[in-house]
Amino acid sequence: MSKLVARELTLAYEDRTVVHGLDLDIPDGRVSVIVGPNACGKSTTLRALGRLLKPRGGSVLLDGTELARIPTRRIARSIGLLPQSPVAPEAITVADLVSRGRQPYQHWWQQWSDEDERAVTEAMARTDVTALADRPVDELSGGQRQRVWIAMALAQETELLLLDEPTTFLDISHQVEVLDLVRRLNHEQGRTVVIVLHDLNQAARYADHLVAMKAGRIVAEGAPAKVVTRELVREVFGLESVVIPDPVTGSPLVVPGAPYSPERTDGRAVHSR
Amino acid sequence: MTATTGGAPGVRPAGYARVRVGGGRGTFLLHRRAALVAVGLAVALGAVCVAYLSVGESFVPPSEVLRVLLGRESSQELVVGTLRLPRMVVGLLVGLAFGVAGGLIQTVARNPLASPDIIGVSQGASALTVGAMTFGITSFSVLPYLSVAGGVAAAALVYVFAWRGGLHATRFVLIGIGFAIALRSVTTLFLTKGDYLVAQQAQVWMTGSLNGRGWDSAAPLGWVLLAAAPAVAWAAYAQRTVSMDDDTATALGVRLGRVRLGLVALGVVLASVATGAAGPVDFVALLAPQIARRMTRTAQIPLLCSALLGAVIVVLADLLARRLLSPTELPVGVLTAAVGAPYLIWLLVRGRSIRGGAVGTGTGGKA
Repeated sequence: MSKLVARELTLAYEDRTVVHGLDLDIPDGRVSVIVGPNACGKSTTLRALGRLLKPRGGSVLLDGTELARIPTRRIARSIGLLPQSPVAPEAITVADLVSRGRQPYQHWWQQWSDEDERAVTEAMARTDVTALADRPVDELSGGQRQRVWIAMALAQETELLLLDEPTTFLDISHQVEVLDLVRRLNHEQGRTVVIVLHDLNQAARYADHLVAMKAGRIVAEGAPAKVVTRELVREVFGLESVVIPDPVTGSPLVVPGAPYSPERTDGRAVHSR
Repeated sequence: MTATTGGAPGVRPAGYARVRVGGGRGTFLLHRRAALVAVGLAVALGAVCVAYLSVGESFVPPSEVLRVLLGRESSQELVVGTLRLPRMVVGLLVGLAFGVAGGLIQTVARNPLASPDIIGVSQGASALTVGAMTFGITSFSVLPYLSVAGGVAAAALVYVFAWRGGLHATRFVLIGIGFAIALRSVTTLFLTKGDYLVAQQAQVWMTGSLNGRGWDSAAPLGWVLLAAAPAVAWAAYAQRTVSMDDDTATALGVRLGRVRLGLVALGVVLASVATGAAGPVDFVALLAPQIARRMTRTAQIPLLCSALLGAVIVVLADLLARRLLSPTELPVGVLTAAVGAPYLIWLLVRGRSIRGGAVGTGTGGKA
C-alpha cells in the first residue's frame, strides 16, 4: 500500500533534466531510503515528493490525487519534510522553533491551541530536547540541532516524513543517534519515512525499502539484502567492492577494494571507470 | 517556560503568554518582553510628544500642553494646537509608517540592510515627485499622490525583475539597490534640468522635511494607517511564517509567494504614503525595526514596537531639527541621517559576524 507515489516523474532545473520518467511507490509505514552518488537526482526526487519542486512531466500522487491539486496547507498535514540545511530565524529558541511545526494547523486568530501544546510537548519529549526548550538554537551542537529540527517536523504530525540527508553534517555517533531516532519514530508511531542518504552502508542498515538511483533513474529497489550486491555497487557508484554481512545486523555491508598503496604491484584498479 | 494546561505540563515557546479571547475561539501568543517594550515605548512617545509641543520659539509648560491636548481652554491654544500639533502629528504618523514598512521589507528580504530607502521605494517616489516639480507641479495636495505612485511603481519593477520562478531574497535586495541608483540619477537629471528655485525646493523635499506640514498632510496619512491596521495585524502573524528558509516554510504549508507579496506590498504602500507626506526621511525604516528587535529579543521583528520606535525617532529628530540651529529649521532627514549613517556602517562592519542564515540566504535547495 502506498499513500505517496510518483508516476513518470520528470524533474528539471531550468533546462537541465535531472530525473527522467521515474516511477516510485513509497511503502506505507516503512522506512524507505533513497541512495545514490552525488547529483543522481535523489534530493531532487525527495523535493518533488514534498511538492517543493513542480514536476516538468508526470506527477506525484497523494492518496491518488495530484499534489498540484491539493492546497499546500493540506499537504502540510500529511507530508512533513526536512531540507538538508534548514535555516532557523536568528536567536530563536528551541521550543519556539519546534512550535513552528504547528503552522499548518494555526490561523492568525488561533495561534496556540491545547492541541498545539500537546503536539509540541510530545514531539520534544520523543526527540529528547525538552531540557533544551529555552536555549537558542544557534548555541546547540550539530546533533542537538538536528534533533530539534526533527522535533519540529514531528510536531507537524504528518503520516509521512521526508528527510533530506539528515546526517550530512554530523559526526558518526550523532549520525547513528539521528537514524536510530528516525527508526524508533517509525516503529512506535507507524509513520512512513523517506530518507535520502549518500552512505550506502547506512542506507542498508536503516532501510526497510531501499531505492538506488543513478543519473536520474532508479537502478534497483527492494529489501537491502536483495538490492545491495557487488554488481549494484559497481553499477551505481562505479566502485569495486566486497559485500559481506554486517557483523552486527546481518544486513549487507559494502567494503571498498584495497586503497592505493605504493608497494602494491598487481596494478588492480579500484575504480572501474 | 513551562506552563500547565488542564493539569498536564506542556512546553510553550519561552517568553510567550497565551491570551484567550471569546471563550477560547481565539488564542494569541503574546511575547511578554515585547509587550513590556511596547508599553515603555508608548510612554516614551508620549513624553517626546509633550516635549515637542513644549519646546520652541516660546516655551510652553507641559501642563499647558496637556490642557490644550485635552481640549481645555488655554492661552497657548494657538502655539500648541495650531502651530506645533499638526506638524508633530505628521511626524508621528510618518514614523509609525516607516517603522512598520521597514520591518516588513527587512523580513521579506531576510536582510537587516533592506529598507524602503535602500531598495528603491524612496528613490521612485523622489524621481516622480521631483520630475513633477520641474514641470511646474508644486502643490502639496498633488505631490503626495505622485510620490505614492512613484514608490509603488519602483517597487513593482524591482519585484518583477527579481522574480525568477520565485522571489530570491538576495536578488530582491541587489536589484532594489540597482534601481535605487538608477532612479537617483533620474532625479538628478530632473534637478539639473529644472529651474533653480524648484531645484532648491525639491532638494529640501528629498532630504525629508516636516516644515510647513499640517492637517492636510496628516489626514490622508492617518486614514491610510487606520485602513492598513488590520493588514498590519495579519502581517505581524504572517511574518512568523516567512522567517524560515523557503523549503522549510513551503513544507509547513506556507504559500510563500503570496505571503511575501502581501507583506512587501503593505510595506511599500506604507513607505510610499509616508514619503509622500514628508519626503524620504532616511534611515528611520532601517533603524527602527533592528533596534526594536534588539530590545524585545524576539525571533522576528516586533512590528508594533518598531512602529512606536519609528515615531519616537521622527518626532525627536524633528524636535532637534527645529531647535538645534534655531531660528533656522533643518530638514528632519538631516538628523535621522546623522544618526542612521553611523549605524549602517556599524551594521556592515559587524556583518561578518552575523550568521550566514540571517543575512539574505536564499533557498536551501540542492540538485
